[in-house]
Amino acid sequence: MWRLNAVRHKVGRQGSDLEEFKFKRRAHEKELRRARKDSQLVSKRLLLNDDDEEEDGTMDTLASDQVVELFKMVRHGRDLVKKEADLRALRKALRSPSAHLILIKQPNSIAILVTNLCGPNPQCRLEAARCLHELSHSPHSEVDSLRLRQATPYLITFLSGQSPKFTELCLYTLGNMCPDSENVRDMLLAQGIIPALNNCIQIHRTNLAVVEAVGFTLSQLISANYVTGRIIPAVLASGLIPHLLSVLTLDSQFGLGPVIECAWCLHYLACSNVDNGALVAQGTLLRCTSLLVTLGGVVAKGSIEEGMELLIWPLLRCVGNLLLSGPLGALQPQLNDSRLLAALCAFPQAFLQTHPALARESVWVLNNLTAAADSSMFCSALFYLNLVPALIQLLPFSHGINIMVLRVLGNIAHQGREYCLHLAQAGLLPALCATLKMADPEVVTFSLEVLDQLMASDPQLAEEFVRQSGLPVLEAIQYSNQETIRLRATHLLEHHLPPHCTVDTSASP
Amino acid sequence: MLPPELIQLLTASDLVDLRIDAIPKLQVGFRPESLFSSFTSQDGEAKLTFTFIPHQIPLNKDHEFFEDGDIHRHLYLQNLSTCPAYDSPTARQCEFRCHISGCSQVFSTVEDYEHHYNTLHRHVCSSCQRSLPSARLLDIHIQEWHDSLFSILAERQDMYQCLVEGCGLKYRTREQRKDHMIKIHKYPSDFMFDKAKRIKNIKIAKKNMLQKGTSMEVSMSVSEPKGVCEVLSDQPEEEEYMEINHSLEPGILDPAGNPINTVELSTDHDTAPILSVTIQPTTNQQRPQHNRERHSYRVPRTVCFGQGSVQGFRGRGRRI
Repeated sequence: MWRLNAVRHKVGRQGSDLEEFKFKRRAHEKELRRARKDSQLVSKRLLLNDDDEEEDGTMDTLASDQVVELFKMVRHGRDLVKKEADLRALRKALRSPSAHLILIKQPNSIAILVTNLCGPNPQCRLEAARCLHELSHSPHSEVDSLRLRQATPYLITFLSGQSPKFTELCLYTLGNMCPDSENVRDMLLAQGIIPALNNCIQIHRTNLAVVEAVGFTLSQLISANYVTGRIIPAVLASGLIPHLLSVLTLDSQFGLGPVIECAWCLHYLACSNVDNGALVAQGTLLRCTSLLVTLGGVVAKGSIEEGMELLIWPLLRCVGNLLLSGPLGALQPQLNDSRLLAALCAFPQAFLQTHPALARESVWVLNNLTAAADSSMFCSALFYLNLVPALIQLLPFSHGINIMVLRVLGNIAHQGREYCLHLAQAGLLPALCATLKMADPEVVTFSLEVLDQLMASDPQLAEEFVRQSGLPVLEAIQYSNQETIRLRATHLLEHHLPPHCTVDTSASP
Repeated sequence: MLPPELIQLLTASDLVDLRIDAIPKLQVGFRPESLFSSFTSQDGEAKLTFTFIPHQIPLNKDHEFFEDGDIHRHLYLQNLSTCPAYDSPTARQCEFRCHISGCSQVFSTVEDYEHHYNTLHRHVCSSCQRSLPSARLLDIHIQEWHDSLFSILAERQDMYQCLVEGCGLKYRTREQRKDHMIKIHKYPSDFMFDKAKRIKNIKIAKKNMLQKGTSMEVSMSVSEPKGVCEVLSDQPEEEEYMEINHSLEPGILDPAGNPINTVELSTDHDTAPILSVTIQPTTNQQRPQHNRERHSYRVPRTVCFGQGSVQGFRGRGRRI
């Protein structure tokens, strides 16, 4: 379970610590972006143990010979109580990454740990599992999944066990191993990790810490690059989906951790586009949209919890991609709550300043709702619920937001004359006069496209545009250095505004 | 923050019927006829020019559209996202850019842009690219400087109008008019009756300034460009009241109003392709004059647009 509060306490202690933390975090963020561009964005999680917190800061790194000594005692020890103490000491020593290298150099180190993992003493099992967990999180490339592979069949087997804490450890250890290589994932698949996860989530469905761990491990399995073609179909066929979906509620007691993990799993499944029909058939769209509506309500009340965006993000992506899985008419029963549209308009307003990318993705989902052949009911609903002004308010904002909004408005305008008239009533024409002046040529081009659709649909809209002083703006745009813009502006002036565009030959002799 | 209607919609606890299929659907489709011309031919041409078609957009997990969200997720996984002041990228308001080919100035508010446009691009004389503050002054300018009939008439009668709106008096010479405006309308004697008020920044290349001004000349130190085209020497050198003189580029019209060959003006900053702008309503706009990829545009003198003609001129860089 993720002790976000604990981390926050540490951060809040001293001002200089905070600055340093922010600086480190910024540097880290840059690294992550670079990693993502190289398709190497990978994260591992380290489960903190209860006694780790107490001793925070007082641990000294053991010298290498001390580590070796500890290991020898574990290896040769016969007294189980002592062995448990030694294993615990070893585990604590492994908090320091330098100890990892020392340990793996010892002959049969992993085999010994595995022996204890399966041994008769539950406490030894636990400590051995913790040791392996520390190793799975190692920053050293030598301590990779290949080294740890002896442990995996046991770890997988234990997923069907009853002990939540132990299971949690096994899950996170496996989850940390997943991203390492395709070979590892193939091996885990062959060893039956997916049915094991399916069992696990059912056995421990009331223990949300374990559910979170299952979600994490599954997300690591399916989000890695070059995921083999067999993993996702196996997940889809495994019966995991309904269990993931059942987690999608807002449980205020426990926190958002489990829901977040399951939502990211659903996102990875949906965007892989292996069999989105199956996902939809099992009710994914319905559950995701209901949760989005609930979150929309939370946002509207102004009681946004920290980390809520981590949940909204994957839900939006999942819904956005699932909307392409079939004709909208067929999906409509799962999309019948019109408050979804309201939520999709509320998220950008709420997250514009903190997470503009989330605002953009929310509008992207609206695009997918309004761009299909049978989107007219959604477009009509946007007017009925008076949501269009909220969209128009987003037009000043860059970061891809205004372009996506213009797409949505263009989609609506393409529906027909009634829609264009309603758009004008909602105040689109003066807003377009402003977007036509913007620096980004793509914004200008899209604005011209929307304007064309509006003016072509009804001459009174052209007149209204002129009344809004749009004509000089178009005339100015005719001299843009972008041909695409010039052509469109000229076309509009010639075809839709002829009574106004007079060529004055009397100005100079 | 959120409009109250939206809040109401999302937080209402009473069971209002919010089903999408219960909402009345607006009629789709367009009228078959259009008032201006036959819809089909217009439609056909429109299809070539306007290319937007509504379409759903699928995104796979590695798409750059998803980058920020992924980064946020991984910061969370690595326990780095809990920080009081998270420096995520915030949404910026879009910048505004002047669209006049070659102007390309960027502004952070629409008011700044409009001020720029109104100052420099409206009421521009198509002969000499000077921008006047109002339509009336533009008319007077054209009449006094570019109307050959005017100079003939001015020999016989009072043609120089008082510049103050509503006055209506006319004088035989510029000096008389100036005196009138100083005495009667209390204009300061150092008002720029005959010299341009140079508002432009020094990035503009000036034309060749043959210094035959009066003592009222106010010149800013502007670096002389190299290799100015000499075609412009025919132009009147004296500046005019309150004009803003854009760089007189090669490629403008000669006094007879014929387009001339353009010569690239070399300056000490970024290459600026600009040349005056043309509009030919029915044909293609481009007429490349050079091996370079830039295009030139010219406005025939006889064409002027209702709201003030637009001309190309040099001036790049950001104004905040």
